Amino acid sequence: MTNITSIFRRLLFLTIFLSLIPLFSNAEDVNDPFESANRKIFDFNNILDDNIFVPIAKGWRKVPDIPRKPLSNLSTLAQTPISLANAILQLNRESIGNILGRFLINMTFGLGGMFDVAGTKEFGNVPAITEDFGQTLATWGVPDGPYVMLPIFGPSSVRDAFGMGVDTITNPLSFAYRMNGIGIEARLSGPVLRGVNQREKYLDYVEEMKASSLDFYATMRSLYRQKRKKDISGLLEDENASSLDFIPVASIADDDGISQASSLSFSDELDSTDLDSSFTDISGTEDKEVNQQVKKIVQAQVKRNSKLNSPILMPSSNYPGAKTVESRYAPRIYNGIMPSSNYPEFSKSRVNLIN
Amino acid sequence: MLKRIIISLFFIVPSFSQSDDLSKSKIFLEKLGKEVVEKISNVNISDADRFKNFKKLYLSTFDNYYISRFVLGRYWKTIDKNVQRQFVESFNKYIVATYAPKFKGWEGTFKATDSLIEKNYYNVKMDILNKEGPTLKMMWKLYLNKNNEFKILDVNIDGVSMLVTQRAEFMSVIKNNPKGVKGLITAMEEKASGS
Repeated sequence: MTNITSIFRRLLFLTIFLSLIPLFSNAEDVNDPFESANRKIFDFNNILDDNIFVPIAKGWRKVPDIPRKPLSNLSTLAQTPISLANAILQLNRESIGNILGRFLINMTFGLGGMFDVAGTKEFGNVPAITEDFGQTLATWGVPDGPYVMLPIFGPSSVRDAFGMGVDTITNPLSFAYRMNGIGIEARLSGPVLRGVNQREKYLDYVEEMKASSLDFYATMRSLYRQKRKKDISGLLEDENASSLDFIPVASIADDDGISQASSLSFSDELDSTDLDSSFTDISGTEDKEVNQQVKKIVQAQVKRNSKLNSPILMPSSNYPGAKTVESRYAPRIYNGIMPSSNYPEFSKSRVNLIN
Repeated sequence: MLKRIIISLFFIVPSFSQSDDLSKSKIFLEKLGKEVVEKISNVNISDADRFKNFKKLYLSTFDNYYISRFVLGRYWKTIDKNVQRQFVESFNKYIVATYAPKFKGWEGTFKATDSLIEKNYYNVKMDILNKEGPTLKMMWKLYLNKNNEFKILDVNIDGVSMLVTQRAEFMSVIKNNPKGVKGLITAMEEKASGS
């Protein structure tokens, strides 16, 4: 009992410590104060990757679907206890439901987890969700802290590396292995299989990225951060991408002529007949004319209203108790869509937790 | 009575045209998918034509100027107009040289599943149905310019924004290169000519 209390005390201390890290770390937006050490580890990982992991992943790709897929499914299924525990710690009902649903369906209809039937149309495409302690800490409000490159395991952050350690120690399967006297070789089979499987999945992408990148390390760092953010918040789009909003579209086209000048100098050798001419003019001439006419009517009305300073009438203005709009301009039209809530990955419970 | 009809039109027409534009944004991207299959990934065309077609498609459908400005981040304002122009040109060349060969032999379909308006932008959700391999979930960010043409600003694949990734990479190159933005331009030119 004392041991458990002491572990929890340490955990609490580390959580508080982790949350304070950004105050002391480099304030640059990349938050990579250990960059030079990280780059060295990254180079080492790349050497390992080229000489060991890539050949293994290529070999794994050549293995027939059976036994490759059942083995891969079993290794994924072995993550269920830790994912479920983290989903519970996050109080994430959606994840709990998905993890339990997948487990039960695959254990029964999927012949003990060898076949991923839960992901098929017939069983409702239950998404595969993995939750880890790094994500749990994030939902508790712990920031990710500085970026770290782990030997062999690759990109991570202080928070996520710590979470990985906690997951390894507290995994119920580790206890089961120890109690049954199962050796380290057997214990490693799951993580190794998952690693090989993951590497095989990204084999082509990583090759392409490596070839085209000007700074592969920076690219991987950005990819890791964005992917992690998406896994935690459940949103499709990275938060940083919203910085697009800081440059209003209307101001882009008329900036300082560079846009026009550069595109002309770059594209003047192009033959405009090569591509479908209607491609950029999707609305069609007829539509444009109608739109122009309607626009004229509307603009004239707005002009008249603004001159008279008269209230804008809505059809509902005649209802008892209706108020008139004392504005020169029409109110913005709300189309009934809240954009973020329509994303497929939108999770209300997670948003509440993060808030 | 006539006044009321006109005023009602004022409120109704924009909402009609808005939903119209939403479906047009989806059609635009699906059409882009067909163009990619016919004119870029087609194995029967020469590599020179593939580059030429990609270049044309990129320049006509992406807001390459805005993208260039975004990926250069805070450095954009620190360089003069000639260097800005040079950067936009080199960046365009780099994009074409990097992405055109990747499409060679690709077979699949662009299926737009939804389109939403967020501020000034259209966010179009799309499934890329690869003939071989898993379906990719994408989100395209585009807007309608003053010529009533759609222009793509960003492509987001499974939570990863291409624009944000590119900017992060360029920031690092500039930071680690003693020549700064000019060093980045040289690196892009070298990469483009080497591909």
